[in-house]
Amino acid sequence: MTYMAIPNIGNYTIALATAVESLGIKAWASTATTPEALKLGIEAAPESVCLPLKAHLGHFIEADKAGVEYAFMINSVGTCRLRYYRHMIDQILKDLGLKIKIFGLGFDGFKPPIVRHFNPGPITFIKPLFHSVLKIKVIDELEVAAWRTRPIEITPGETTRIMNKLLVELSESKTMAQTRSLRKKVAGSFADIPVDKEKQPLKVGLVGEISFLRDKCLNKNIEYILGSQGIELKNFFLLGEELENITRIIFLNQSRRKSLSRIADRYLQNSVGGHALDSVANSIHCADEGYDGMIHLCPSGCMPEVSVRPILKRVSKDMDIPILEMSYDEHTCAVGISTRLEAFADVLMERRKNGSVAFRREKARRG
Amino acid sequence: MFFYYIYPGLWETFFSGLGMEPIISRPSTIKTVEKASQISETEHCLPNKLFDAHLAELVGKVDMVFVPRVLSTIKNHLSCPKFGPLPDAARADIARETKVLSIEIDESRRPLSESLMLLGKQLKSQKSQIRSAINSSLRAMDSAKNQRVRSQKKKGGLHFLLIGHPYVIYDNFIAGPILQKLEKMGCEVELISFAEDAPAKSYILWSTANLIYHTMKTLSREEYDGVIQITVFNCGCDSMMIDTYRSLMKEKNIPFMYLMVDEHLAQSGMDTRVEAFVDSLGWRP
Repeated sequence: MTYMAIPNIGNYTIALATAVESLGIKAWASTATTPEALKLGIEAAPESVCLPLKAHLGHFIEADKAGVEYAFMINSVGTCRLRYYRHMIDQILKDLGLKIKIFGLGFDGFKPPIVRHFNPGPITFIKPLFHSVLKIKVIDELEVAAWRTRPIEITPGETTRIMNKLLVELSESKTMAQTRSLRKKVAGSFADIPVDKEKQPLKVGLVGEISFLRDKCLNKNIEYILGSQGIELKNFFLLGEELENITRIIFLNQSRRKSLSRIADRYLQNSVGGHALDSVANSIHCADEGYDGMIHLCPSGCMPEVSVRPILKRVSKDMDIPILEMSYDEHTCAVGISTRLEAFADVLMERRKNGSVAFRREKARRG
Repeated sequence: MFFYYIYPGLWETFFSGLGMEPIISRPSTIKTVEKASQISETEHCLPNKLFDAHLAELVGKVDMVFVPRVLSTIKNHLSCPKFGPLPDAARADIARETKVLSIEIDESRRPLSESLMLLGKQLKSQKSQIRSAINSSLRAMDSAKNQRVRSQKKKGGLHFLLIGHPYVIYDNFIAGPILQKLEKMGCEVELISFAEDAPAKSYILWSTANLIYHTMKTLSREEYDGVIQITVFNCGCDSMMIDTYRSLMKEKNIPFMYLMVDEHLAQSGMDTRVEAFVDSLGWRP
């Protein structure tokens, strides 16, 4: 059996693995970067490049060691370092003498090289693609349900248990029909978790760089830490929404970016690159909606995200919403992260007692 | 500060042409760096921190500060993404009390002269006046750029090429000590020229990086005894490019060294590295 290594994009890796089956081969992946892979990447990459590159690289080196022949990565066409990942990773792997071959999404003539190489039949090709889009939608729903339920669950860890169970079922689901029936089960399974209905959890938005929003190893499982501290969160990267956005750009020429830049216009009149505009616009949006606070995640030295930080600070002051800035590098440890998050949660709780959030919520309701 | 060195001589001539009095912040010194580390965002790259300190120096002394949004300086190329939100960041933080004048410079969309025209209109000047200011300022920039190109011939002593971003190699604090040391040792240093405005296309889209890459491809062992790159701490572009430059120089058999400057630059540390590099060249067969 031929294997292909695919990048880790959190739980969405499950859906991406299904997409890879469209080529008649199997995916080699995990839903989070392993610490060993990260270590390999850190050793091989230049020291001052950003952490996602090291994670990517380490993952591919690990794959090569496991005997995987092919790898796939998504290339960006933006302004930041992500654009050069492919070139750099290719170069480093070559210098290390590794054989793994990396495919991108670029077109060469009518067919992308990746499709031409494996040359699958049309039916084997199309069906898994649709299946994978369906899986992405299911994962979106799972994530959203988990954010809501985790802070109010009565038995700690129950939500995570249910979530993991459903994710395993999803990754084992082979047909569209199975996935559809699983999708119907999602709401019920989460509703069965015993919760404290009286509890009014703090609401926090997560913005920032996408691989940190999604990869549990890189962000030290921030969603779980926050949830178990009784914080309801909204993570502003859902792959389903992002795909819809991309489809809209291609077919209707309408980008969500336009509405985002309308929101952010007072503070930022340029799209910068990466998800920097999203970070600013979503922070403003959350402040208007009456969220208790925001957390901004990025790798240390991230070009677009760091450059909008002074703007985020201004938003935080003007709109009276605390924004916690978290930078991660290879020395970040989980204990440090959870200490900071606990302190942040305490601050938010105190603010709520003093009435500042209630006041803003009231204002938001009145419009 | 960022853009002053990318467009030498342009801005002061342009604004004087419109009957305004341009005030330029003083060259960076250790004092600027100290100020920068107090007021600037901690994770910015060094030039961005210095920029904040230069801005803070001007605020209060002037009626408005000029911070252009430089998205692209060469057609079909991009600038560093950090330039994008710069005017907004200035408005949000350091220059909040002052009026921030800005203009989008994007060579891929419109040439520089048109951007200058729009800038003149923002200042409500007469069209004819703007036009003459544009002409004289573009001329001033060209002559300033040509002046920077030094003689290419060897005159005894070691001949080095110094590469880096314009706001790095022309900065007094960052490159100054290294240049002085090299000159003291009797070496001849040539700064990379940014006069070229259409480097061959490559996979690199960042304009300065591609320009350096393009220049390095044409270098020969006979012309230069070595190449020194000055880079700054936390520079995203350089972190991706240094390895490319290094392997290119290895192919051509030209010695290459990079010096990374941060806020804690110590003269003696740089001296040691420069001396070691120059000495090691003497042992080459």
